[in-house]
Amino acid sequence: MLVLALVQVTLLSTPLGFSVPLVLIVVISGALLSMGAAFPDVGVQRVLRWALYGGLTLDILAATYLGTHALALLTATLVVVVLARRIRIEGIMIPLLAVLIASVIYELVLALLINRGMIEWSTYALLIMLPSILITLIPTLPIFFLVRWLLRNQL
Amino acid sequence: MHDLLNDKPIKLRRSQIRLPLGLRSLLVGLFLCGLAVLLIALDGQGKLGSARAFVQQGLAPVAQVLTGIRGQVDAFAMAPFGDAAIQARLQELERENSRLADQLLRLEQAQVENVFLRQQLQIQREHPWTLLGAEVTVRSPDAGRRVIVIARGTRDGLAPGMAVISQLPGGPTALIGIVEAAGPRTAEVLLITDISSQISARVMNEGRSALGMMQGQWQNGSRLRLNQVDRGLPLKQGASVMTAGMTAALNLPLDLASVPSNIPVGVIEEVRTAENYQYADLRPFVDPDQVRYVWVILNQDD
Repeated sequence: MLVLALVQVTLLSTPLGFSVPLVLIVVISGALLSMGAAFPDVGVQRVLRWALYGGLTLDILAATYLGTHALALLTATLVVVVLARRIRIEGIMIPLLAVLIASVIYELVLALLINRGMIEWSTYALLIMLPSILITLIPTLPIFFLVRWLLRNQL
Repeated sequence: MHDLLNDKPIKLRRSQIRLPLGLRSLLVGLFLCGLAVLLIALDGQGKLGSARAFVQQGLAPVAQVLTGIRGQVDAFAMAPFGDAAIQARLQELERENSRLADQLLRLEQAQVENVFLRQQLQIQREHPWTLLGAEVTVRSPDAGRRVIVIARGTRDGLAPGMAVISQLPGGPTALIGIVEAAGPRTAEVLLITDISSQISARVMNEGRSALGMMQGQWQNGSRLRLNQVDRGLPLKQGASVMTAGMTAALNLPLDLASVPSNIPVGVIEEVRTAENYQYADLRPFVDPDQVRYVWVILNQDD
């Protein structure tokens, strides 16, 4: 998670000021794959720990209060886990939908924690959240399949 | 007969076995969320500053290397793909472009300098002054004081009391101020429009001259006024006003002794009379607020 967070902050930042939230995509992919595993509890708890470690690393690198990114990642992961518990994890739409929902929650929590009452929500949603969510969706499927391949022996 | 091939296979994929998510995972998740909130609160109070700084210090070199790699990747992506010879040619052309841009800038500077030097030469032909050109670097931000700073100082021979002149297109060379203070490389020029500026002046009209004291009127809502002119002397609208150089003529040990006589200042716009004296509002030939380049009169050839 430390390496992923470093890569996200340094290598994946775009000139427009956005960066691909690699940690979020990996955590959500891991959560979805864990839900379909033989022992989902073990996998989900492991993914929640990823979210905490990755989030704390992002906080240190991004100079936000320690716990800010961690809370955003944990909230997004928990919501996805709760929503996905009764659906079958198949096809390519589920990962995309899950990352979309997670991304919205992640961005909302970050906006609330970082900007608090200083933002105009309609402008923020249009200029910050929407591009961030779209950038998140682009690499979702390759990363999901890569995580599935990496975790093939643990599921 | 039972066709075994038509039977649907038994699904054994683990992903299709739905198991209810245990309460324990949710509790772990909520516990970690609480931990994150606690960390935010503690960091907000500055209690984690040293630990955070320690980790940041450890991660900084790695992050710097990665950011450097990112920069190199960006540079590579921005460069045209293809033959190495094309890239070498591109670099060569970029260097050539930089060199030409430098030359162009120098040429433009030389042209500007040439214009100012021609003006200076022309002024020196017409007047017996030794001039030193200077650029206006700063204008006073205070509306209550009319001062400019020029990019010449004592190292260039400037001294307080020296007259500063300028010229606007189509107009005569005229006084705009007096050096008030001089540093090694810069000097403050008190503009003639400032109320604290007082210089002796002479009005030329119908072959007769009238002496008076010229004072700035900016703070009074005007520009210049000629005071204390004898009521018996002719003052007419449109008459030219020049410096009188009385301090130098009287050999007074004052800074203003450096101001030569006969520097054009402006023209009379309106004449008023009060008791035994006349007053005249003047319009300066050169608006001091418009100048960007000035000349300091270093001395006068006798």
